[in-house]
Amino acid sequence: MIWVSWRQHRAQAIACLGLLAALTVYAIVLGTSMRTAFSHDGLAGCLARSQGTSCQGAVQAFTNKFGTLVNVAFWAVLLIAPGLIGVLVGAPLIASELEYGTWRLAWSQTVPRTRWLATKLALVTGGLVLFGAAATAVITWYRAPMDRLTGHFLHNIYDFEGPVLTAYILAAFGFAVLAGLLIRRSIPAMIAAFVPWLAIRLVVEFVFRPHFMTPLTLRQVNCTNGCGAGLGSVPQITGRIGDWVLNIGHGHGITYQPADRFWPFQFIEAGIFVALAAAALGATIWLMHRRTA
Amino acid sequence: MIDDADDSPPALQADRLGRRYGHVWALRDCTLELPAGAIAGLVGPNGAGKTTLLEMIIGLLEPSEGQVSVFGQTSHAQRVATLGRVSFVAQDRPLYRDFSVADMFHLGRAMNPSWDQGLAQERMDAFGIPLKRKVKHLSGGQQAQISLTMALAKRAPLLVLDEPVSSLDPVARLEFMRDVMATAADTGLTVLIASHVVSELERFCDWLVVLTGGRMQIAGPVDDLIAEHRLLTVPRATPDAELPGLRIHRTDSDRHSTALVRADPARLAAQLRPGWQADPVGFEQLVMAYLQRRPQTAAADDPVLAAARPGPATKEVTR
Repeated sequence: MIWVSWRQHRAQAIACLGLLAALTVYAIVLGTSMRTAFSHDGLAGCLARSQGTSCQGAVQAFTNKFGTLVNVAFWAVLLIAPGLIGVLVGAPLIASELEYGTWRLAWSQTVPRTRWLATKLALVTGGLVLFGAAATAVITWYRAPMDRLTGHFLHNIYDFEGPVLTAYILAAFGFAVLAGLLIRRSIPAMIAAFVPWLAIRLVVEFVFRPHFMTPLTLRQVNCTNGCGAGLGSVPQITGRIGDWVLNIGHGHGITYQPADRFWPFQFIEAGIFVALAAAALGATIWLMHRRTA
Repeated sequence: MIDDADDSPPALQADRLGRRYGHVWALRDCTLELPAGAIAGLVGPNGAGKTTLLEMIIGLLEPSEGQVSVFGQTSHAQRVATLGRVSFVAQDRPLYRDFSVADMFHLGRAMNPSWDQGLAQERMDAFGIPLKRKVKHLSGGQQAQISLTMALAKRAPLLVLDEPVSSLDPVARLEFMRDVMATAADTGLTVLIASHVVSELERFCDWLVVLTGGRMQIAGPVDDLIAEHRLLTVPRATPDAELPGLRIHRTDSDRHSTALVRADPARLAAQLRPGWQADPVGFEQLVMAYLQRRPQTAAADDPVLAAARPGPATKEVTR
């Protein structure tokens, strides 16, 4: 069954490796020039000394040069990528067998279909985890200089530099496998899986993520350098790079998520999406088992 | 064919087998005993329950009632033991189109512990099909040979084929059927083949099973069935009740009626009236008569089938 799974998903595996190679080349080129600029402008020392307040000109120049990395349009493009990868791999897994009638061949060999399915799911899930982890490592490496200016809570960074990226892929994969079994056709299954995936993804990001943990409140605010909610480059209202300011109530202080909550937040959000993936895949196995009974 | 005195279990035995989807019975009260070495044809209109029956035999589907056993061992869906005992060539002979022939055999080897790679390769050599060629670049006839080879190399004692020659041209069709029969004769394989092509079944099968409306209409060795049936030609005015034996199907023309009846030939001869004529029936006529027989007449009126069916007749549902 391992060989069968490999043979059937070989093209997808090669496509994922190609994607990863392209990403790596891009990351090395851009990452290297970013590192050069970072050290040339002496930003590292400046950040260490004064959280960047003493070298705002250099920070501004750096962000202008590499700002596309953190702008919203770039994020919107990258937002859908994990979902697309997940549904492209997941939807045909069962649907193509049903679509082309090959299930009659596959499931009449001397391997019970639940074992057939469990083996394929385990191997493909493993492949996607490796892909997600590798992509996360590459993205994290190349953006490291920018992260030092903005912290990790910015959408473009948070969504791609931790276990959440892999979890997003797995959730889309799980939805698509289940949709493939129910709808029995690959393309409609991709759409049926992608739409709820995107909806949940956005709701979690904008509604639940700010409240994964109770925000902290700061009464005394230094707004001499200008106050504004959200994330961005220095100077930070809280005085620390990477804190995520949620709300500024004038006269009431501000609420924020401190920068060191990045990892707990990552694991909470990754947990949500892994649980969704597990539920979808579990339902698929259960339905597959029930069809024969 | 192994004779009846042999103690070995039947190749295939179905005992009041039934399958329900929700409240609808796709197949009910299916009782059948196929001896080892038989080449059995399974005929029935679309939706008669053929595929349901086959899926329960090969272990893709669990029966809702009754049971099926292959060489004495009860079949259960999704058990390795059941799946390994039956080879299956599915409707439209599905293959992975972007696999090479060698890939298909690799799949067969990976998914079947008893896989016979030597047999698979020998057959490809004999047909002149290169192992490196992709399935999608093979002709329909060659694809059919791959499908059959996949089933044969599984080395199971029962071979089940579901509409194996549909969408093949007449020559490929004939070659395929000859290939099945030659292999069966060489290896003592028992074959159950579902088909709409009655003429081909007549040529190759020594057993016949007719299924309509989820009910078994008739099952038995072809020679016995032919001997037990007569085609009666009687005046049109003759009421059904006066016809001897069991009336299967009657066709009325201007002055005469033709009726297929099931009866003991000697007794039938004694019951014939002047002006009646009794002719032997051909395979195709026999099949057509049973296919045209209304399903609801099967359960209640048929003493042969009714004897094996205690309890009240169930509601008939035609899918």
